[in-house]
Amino acid sequence: MKCSQIKKRFSDFLTGEIDKTTRKEIEEHVTACGSCRDELESLSAIWTKLGVLPEEQPSDSVRTRFYTALEKHKQTLEKEKEGPSLGKLLDGWLERWAPKRPVFQFSLALMLLIVGLTAGYFLRAGLQEGREIARLRQEVHQIRQIAEVSLLRQESLSERMRGIDVTSRVEQSAEGTLEALLRIVSSDTNINTRLSAIDALHLLPDYPLIQQDFVESLSEQTSPLVEIALTVSHHIKNL
Amino acid sequence: MNKATDNNLMEQVRDGNAGKLAILFERYHVMLYNFFLRLTSNRSISEDLVQDVFIRILKYRSSYKGQDKFLIWLYRIARNTHIDYLRKRKEDISLGEQCDEVPCQEPTPPEKVEQAQEIVRLSQALAKLPLKKREVIILCRFQNLKYKEIAELLGCQIGTVKALIHRSIKELGKAYFELSGGIAS
Repeated sequence: MKCSQIKKRFSDFLTGEIDKTTRKEIEEHVTACGSCRDELESLSAIWTKLGVLPEEQPSDSVRTRFYTALEKHKQTLEKEKEGPSLGKLLDGWLERWAPKRPVFQFSLALMLLIVGLTAGYFLRAGLQEGREIARLRQEVHQIRQIAEVSLLRQESLSERMRGIDVTSRVEQSAEGTLEALLRIVSSDTNINTRLSAIDALHLLPDYPLIQQDFVESLSEQTSPLVEIALTVSHHIKNL
Repeated sequence: MNKATDNNLMEQVRDGNAGKLAILFERYHVMLYNFFLRLTSNRSISEDLVQDVFIRILKYRSSYKGQDKFLIWLYRIARNTHIDYLRKRKEDISLGEQCDEVPCQEPTPPEKVEQAQEIVRLSQALAKLPLKKREVIILCRFQNLKYKEIAELLGCQIGTVKALIHRSIKELGKAYFELSGGIAS
């Protein structure tokens, strides 16, 4: 064998993974070849020297730490066999669905915060709006009531007639309006006004409440037209 | 302590009988400790790495296939543990940091001074080698792995392992003689 082929087997020679024939070939070659002999001697020397490095024993803490970790692992396994707790199920769910990268986690948190704030703002605005509308309705109702009663008590005939016209166009009469209209029917100086008030009262849904007042007013009337109007209204309502 | 028994124990660990790992620990923790000690030249780090290896075995037990030779699988985990440790440190273990830690745990008697110095020089020379060359010498010389097993572990051909061992011994010899103040052969 050539030197290059022999040198390739040097590692086999050192480690002992070599058959007897090859070993003999190497030994014969290095006896005759000074260069190969020097190299093999050099390699063998360091290979042998490595034998002085002692095998050491680790400290007892290695064993202690291992058995502690093993015990902990066994306990975890036993808990897993008992079935996952609600907390673990939730953790597992979050583990699967929650974003992993911090930048996405931050984005999700920010998005949820914005959604929460927006929803809160609109809910609050909606509630406030509802309250505001109810308050305004009540105010309008009160103003209308004042206006109606005020018009019905005016000295001016035309204003009183206007008041009667207004009351006849509303679906529900305001408090005090009925009283003012009945007063007109009983004591207004103008017959046309009385007749208009009878018409207005006749159309109101509150008629049953004032039926008795109509009957009593009939005896006080001096005008046949008013008497007829009261009688006809009463008669029609009782049909 | 045969192959079949190791494999059988590891299969039981894989299937949920974690207690069987204690037997494997008792068999192999000293061997692993010395493997890491020669790689890192640091006792405390070597003990931590042994601990990490067995924690990883528990963690990745389901990845163990019955047909794998347990010892090769164990060394694969050990190598990965060591590589991860090096990555964390961002640098290889330097000679200056660690070489004084290796040799003697007790005061050296005068007659053993020369041997102690030899141990220091060899440890320093070993630490000077690149990681792969250091690994291959340790696996072959101290861990008694065969070419075939080293090839399987490193994922290469047997011929490549032989050539690597040859080059590594030459480089180790050169480093040793430099440290001894001599001339490399």
